[in-house]
Amino acid sequence: MNGTPRALNRVLLFIIGVKLLAVGLLLLLLATVPAVATWWHGWSAAAWARTEELFRDTRFPGREESWLWIVAGLVLVAIIVAMIAWVSQQGKGRANFLVSSDDDSDVDGQVRIGGGVAEQALRAALSERTDLASASVATLEVKGKPGLRIRIQPRQGVAPHVLAAEVSQLLEALDLVIGQKTPVLVHMVSGARSRFTRAERVR
Amino acid sequence: MTQDQETQNVNAVDSGASPVAGEDPEMARILRRETHSSRAGAATIAAVLVIVLCVYALLESGVRAVGQPPWLIDPSTAAERVIALPAGISPLLLGASGAVIAMVGLFFLLHAVLPGRRARHLLRDPRTAVVVDDEVLASALARRARTAANVTQEQVMVVVSRQLVVVNVRPTSGSRVSEEAVRSAVQAELEEMSPVPMPSVRVNLAPSGVIGA
Repeated sequence: MNGTPRALNRVLLFIIGVKLLAVGLLLLLLATVPAVATWWHGWSAAAWARTEELFRDTRFPGREESWLWIVAGLVLVAIIVAMIAWVSQQGKGRANFLVSSDDDSDVDGQVRIGGGVAEQALRAALSERTDLASASVATLEVKGKPGLRIRIQPRQGVAPHVLAAEVSQLLEALDLVIGQKTPVLVHMVSGARSRFTRAERVR
Repeated sequence: MTQDQETQNVNAVDSGASPVAGEDPEMARILRRETHSSRAGAATIAAVLVIVLCVYALLESGVRAVGQPPWLIDPSTAAERVIALPAGISPLLLGASGAVIAMVGLFFLLHAVLPGRRARHLLRDPRTAVVVDDEVLASALARRARTAANVTQEQVMVVVSRQLVVVNVRPTSGSRVSEEAVRSAVQAELEEMSPVPMPSVRVNLAPSGVIGA
């Protein structure tokens, strides 16, 4: 439900994966097939000679070093910044407000309801239940609109459809309080706490 | 089949029945995202790998640009060594490192290409989008199977996959367990839940019983 850029993840992982796979296979072939080694010597030596030529042509006037090193450094910095930007995109999408709108009345001003209202109300209602090992509520932004993600960990043996129906009732009450329908995702997870604690036997 | 087509199929199948996720059509997108991996973990690993390589290359090229001695290896020496391959290194080491790099590449490539479906089912609900981990379904079904077979919790194991529910029951020695009763109980519970996609049920009764349970 968060804003992780999934298509971008796929594309970049594909590019990086293909490159690493190609390098690895080349090393493997170099180690095992002699014919590949002779081809590699010819090809890479020619390529390196061209590169050295380029470096010689781009020297600072009167100095040993080529300014291509600085260009290479700038390119590397750009790649690093892009990678950091990519990582920071993972799992983003928290929202602060559940409602943030001008109403149609004559009174000036805006109505804003923080996400904490729904989060705390739902968490308080869910924490009373004995059939849940844990519950967490987060407000996230879905395509620019706020939505709620409820993550609950039922104890062993709890019927998920009954639980879903009861959480639904809670949400209908919340809709009435807030005055608008918020999209809600209920996610029932399993984890160590539900696996190793007592099973729910009586309801 | 892409993820979008899949979701469309789910919606087409359900058009007659009650909606999977409320009246909001945007929920279909959320549900598709929740039942498929975001690959955030693999993406972070790949990014860190690239950053480490780039920082090292930046260090060496920076040192070279200002005319200082190299830290680990001079770029041009490194290039000459690479050109000289496979000489200068034992073929075993070269082949092994090549295999490791190829495996890492394959790991990223498969993450990018495979559908990345998560072990989760959807439940029908008029108000909310409900996504349930398969383990939660399994523990609810195990509880029902346990009461139907009249055995203890340890004697039942349920495995839920996308299209199939396998119920393994080890009966108590000396008491008969009806396979049909277990199957119908689990089937009834499953129909009450009505997960999407609906799996079929298979019951395995162990030929040997458990003593003293």
